[in-house]
Amino acid sequence: MSAPTHVPFRNPGWAGNTGEFDLTEADVRGTDFVGERPLDGGHESAAPSYPYMLPDKDPEAVLFEGPYRERFEKIRSRYPTARGALIPALNLAQELRGHISPETMDEVAALLGLASAEVRGTVTFYTMYNKRPVGRFLIQVCTNISCSLCKGEEVLDAFLRHTDTELGETSEDGDFTVIEVECLAACGFPVAVQINSRYYENVLPDDVSALLQRLREHGE
Amino acid sequence: MSTVTLTIDGRRVTVPEGTSLLHAAEEIGVEVPHYCYHPALSAPAQCRLCLVDVEGAPKPMPSCVTQAQDGQVVRTDEGLAREMRKGVLEFYLINHPLDCPICDQSGECKLQDYVHSEGRAHGRGVEPKRVFGRDDFGGDVLFYGDRCVMCTRCVRFMEEMAQDPVLTVVERGDRAVIDTFFEQGLKDSPWSGNIVDICPVGALVSKDFLHKARAWDLDHTPSVCPNCSQGCNIDIHTRDNVVHRLKPRENPEVNGHWMCDYGRGQYEWMNRSDRLEEPFVRGEGGWSAPGWDGALASLRERLEGCRGPVHAVASAHASNEDLGALRELAERLGGGDIVYRSPRAPDEVPMPGFPVLTRRRDLAPNTRGAELLGLRRVGSDDATGGLDEAAAATGALIVLGDELADQPEDFGSRAELFVYLGAHPAQAARSAHFVLPVTTFAEQEGTFTNVQTRVQRFEPALRAAGDAQPAWQVLGSLTASLAGEPVPASAAEAFGRLAAGVPEFEGLGYDRLGVHGAPANRPAAVAGER
Amino acid sequence: MAYPYVHEREVRVISRNFGDPAARTLDGYRERDGYRGLERALEIGPAAVIDEVKASGLRGRGGAGFPTGLKWSFMPKAAVKPHYLLCNADESEPGTFKDRELIRWDPHQLIEGCLIAAYAMGSRHAYIYLRGEFFEASQVIARAVEEAYEGGFAGEDILGSGTHIDVTVHVGAGAYICGEETGLMNSLEGRRGEPRVKPPFPAAVGVYSMPTTINNVETLAAVPHIVRYGGEWYRQWGTDKSPGTKLFCVSGHVEKPGNYELPLGFPMMELIEDVCGGVAEGRALKSVIPGGSSVPLMDVEDCRECTLCYEGVEAAGSMLGCASVIVMDDRTNIVREVRRMVQFYAHESCGQCTPCREGTSWMTQVLRRIEAGRGAESDLDTLLDMSAQMTGTTICVLSDSAAAPVVSSIEKFRDEYLALIHGGATAEVA
Repeated sequence: MSAPTHVPFRNPGWAGNTGEFDLTEADVRGTDFVGERPLDGGHESAAPSYPYMLPDKDPEAVLFEGPYRERFEKIRSRYPTARGALIPALNLAQELRGHISPETMDEVAALLGLASAEVRGTVTFYTMYNKRPVGRFLIQVCTNISCSLCKGEEVLDAFLRHTDTELGETSEDGDFTVIEVECLAACGFPVAVQINSRYYENVLPDDVSALLQRLREHGE
Repeated sequence: MSTVTLTIDGRRVTVPEGTSLLHAAEEIGVEVPHYCYHPALSAPAQCRLCLVDVEGAPKPMPSCVTQAQDGQVVRTDEGLAREMRKGVLEFYLINHPLDCPICDQSGECKLQDYVHSEGRAHGRGVEPKRVFGRDDFGGDVLFYGDRCVMCTRCVRFMEEMAQDPVLTVVERGDRAVIDTFFEQGLKDSPWSGNIVDICPVGALVSKDFLHKARAWDLDHTPSVCPNCSQGCNIDIHTRDNVVHRLKPRENPEVNGHWMCDYGRGQYEWMNRSDRLEEPFVRGEGGWSAPGWDGALASLRERLEGCRGPVHAVASAHASNEDLGALRELAERLGGGDIVYRSPRAPDEVPMPGFPVLTRRRDLAPNTRGAELLGLRRVGSDDATGGLDEAAAATGALIVLGDELADQPEDFGSRAELFVYLGAHPAQAARSAHFVLPVTTFAEQEGTFTNVQTRVQRFEPALRAAGDAQPAWQVLGSLTASLAGEPVPASAAEAFGRLAAGVPEFEGLGYDRLGVHGAPANRPAAVAGER
Repeated sequence: MAYPYVHEREVRVISRNFGDPAARTLDGYRERDGYRGLERALEIGPAAVIDEVKASGLRGRGGAGFPTGLKWSFMPKAAVKPHYLLCNADESEPGTFKDRELIRWDPHQLIEGCLIAAYAMGSRHAYIYLRGEFFEASQVIARAVEEAYEGGFAGEDILGSGTHIDVTVHVGAGAYICGEETGLMNSLEGRRGEPRVKPPFPAAVGVYSMPTTINNVETLAAVPHIVRYGGEWYRQWGTDKSPGTKLFCVSGHVEKPGNYELPLGFPMMELIEDVCGGVAEGRALKSVIPGGSSVPLMDVEDCRECTLCYEGVEAAGSMLGCASVIVMDDRTNIVREVRRMVQFYAHESCGQCTPCREGTSWMTQVLRRIEAGRGAESDLDTLLDMSAQMTGTTICVLSDSAAAPVVSSIEKFRDEYLALIHGGATAEVA
């Protein structure tokens, strides 16, 4: 079998043309199956299952109103304790605001009737909560063992070089924040990179510049 | 209750089923080192210092949460257990600043103790140390992050006992550190001092005590907190006759392991230097200081001619013995009304996780004792007013311990005989004929009766100021000489006399009160209601 | 159909729908005989389901290899309190990438497995805990769960049987340790994902203090097939002690990395040489980590006779773990890669237990120093000593995991350490 020909460059954001198959990106990612997820979270069973990391964030967004309020209520209904809903609620807050500030912790604590310190304890335990604002695209490069064996650190360096940033720093145009991430569980497709909500696999140092250009021009 | 018998370090021990190995070891006098375990808190078994070697177990077991089993063979003192401890202690020191010379905990630090007794002679860590720095948690608490051993006792105390989870671990791994919600601090928790007590190292320290004294220079005297009627058992820590801090002393019936910040903080008055140091007698030619013998001789003379109801004003800070001696003297003189004033706080402050311990409304240690002795409470909640009758008394007037701060200058000026017994000079005692210096509770031994009607002993922590004597001694000797009886020679004897006359105290031997006190008898009427 | 590679020696039971996007939908899954296992389960009843799983000899695929049927039988029979089933989809052991594939290619297979397991143990609620990074996979499974509700396979009155089981898709927020079962429970309760001391065991006191069983995605994915075709059928593959098939996640320096479903007991060299097309670029093999980054490294000698089953890898001095085979060629700087793994554990240590909190970061520092050519031979003794103090001394096995590659690499590749120590950072180690 041959690789599909409509791939714009070697790594379009999926395992690309390294395997022996003939599938489109949508086939692999299942995007057609998923369709457009409703902002209100859909069925209660699915409400805690995602938020996205989105390029556009509103640090002042209300926690929570409109369909987001509905999603929050659905989340709340799926856990026997208020604290059980904490992580999905924080995820939702980050989806809207882009990061979890002390004020956000305080507000989420109040929404769930928890102590602010408890919320801070939880937030700081998990690496996916951005404690500070990040760029439109949060680029997380895996440098763990399998990726490390396949040039993980070189890919990380390439991202830093091409965005002209230091680790964790946001580029001047506000577009990119590059960080190192621990194993993304995509070890068979090294180097694995997560950009906002999405995995980019089989990334090599030479792909980085084009990938960034594509993000600038077309978004995710 | 069923028991299990096991062998620890070659010695057999029988303990109730469900006892942890750590407590079983304690039974035979073996202390298994530990940090995170605290008997009053949940046990996360995370410090890994109390690991012991259990025969047949695949791994060393945390003795704090491992239950003793019949026939178990446990080693705490050699082989694997010792090796593991040595290893864990080395890990503790990898990032520890070793700033013992400037650390308040030095001398009472469990890290120091354990490393000294079983650690490696030389550390192997050569890498740069992690630095967290210091943080002011508000109130009296200062946090030295670098000294912290991450036992999380403080976090669990705030969660489980204060039930006000203002502390948390933030971050994880070797970046983990104890903190509050950013700058929020401990939010004026009324119990925060306890986290300083239970911190096994110098991570949480008291600002009030900061750099004041070295632990090994302090004398510890068992006592009872004088700041409310709960009567928390405490140790008074002194150096060179100065009180430096109050620490809770465990009593499961009264205060558990704890005490409140209010009680803990009110000790400076014990160090007051404006003291009455010798007896004064006011005669025709003004004040004189004839010494105890002279003063008591002339007072005895005056008392002999004095009959009829007396007016007496006492204090709920005075011990049972002091109040008993006052009552006895008053009775001897023909009876009369003994009143006392005592401040009352608007609310009680219970400890949510151990509500037996409550900062009571009565902010004096012996209001219950005063009640049992038939004293009558007067005045308002701020301990003012209520003394009009006494102020205008014409017969004998005795004041014990009340500083009369709100009273007019002519207080007692009409009294035929006005005796003032106090630790501190009182403006309103200027009309007194006798001003007799007495010791504070911190300078004498005796008992208080707490809100639970529990009689608890305290010991003298300070030397008496000047020639001050305990009030029971002064009053007791007067009564004795009036009655031609022997003078009580000790607080125990004074208590014995009291016990003979007050049904609630009957049969309570002073010696048998021990370090934790004992409940007084319930009065017949109340007992009947049961 | 293939994704990304397929090999003729594979036995595709749980991976049968990999590379087949049409199998994702409820209709597609039904057309491929989906939910037949659930139907059979409802027919034969909970006790018989557990017996069938016991008979299959299925062992937990999350790494520990504990017999699944036995684990299920620990749950209290009387449903006095709510029981919970947790599906561990926190896939975070470096080298492991099977669960995401199982979820995104065949979400209904996993949901069916969850429903059968929940039914067998009297659980009213199953949570599927995905690691936070799995945004895409979480949406696929979320959509599939919605379909399952719509189709009457989940929720109240499943397939008219009167059984009520809810399924909730939960995503975490980035912490390796939430893959440890009690850490996952704390995380699901909204707490820091710190592992809990055992006992009490989850079957007695688990999530929300209720009886709980937690199974890996791959374990649950096998359940519908076992229940449908029987335990004996499953035993036709694998060895006596390691029955069935297993996904092998092969990564690192091989020509064709990917997931391969093979009978347990498959020879390691054949996996590398034959199935995966050999070491990449025709290089020579130096070392293999057979079960994810927390198991001991093997050298070529160890690999030669090694068969990939629980007992086979153990005999070769390592552990099968979750069968995450990381292949390293002859150019690999072992010290560097070991340091990278230990650095990961230092980053992921929850910080509760002292040996782990302090040990993992101290180890990283020492290894970095050696890597930079500033080490001493005595550092190797210190590392081994530290490793001993970090093994079996903590609440969970994270610190054991950090120690394993250190000890095994010093044992098998001591020369590489010595080259850096004596020759400096630029020493030729490969």
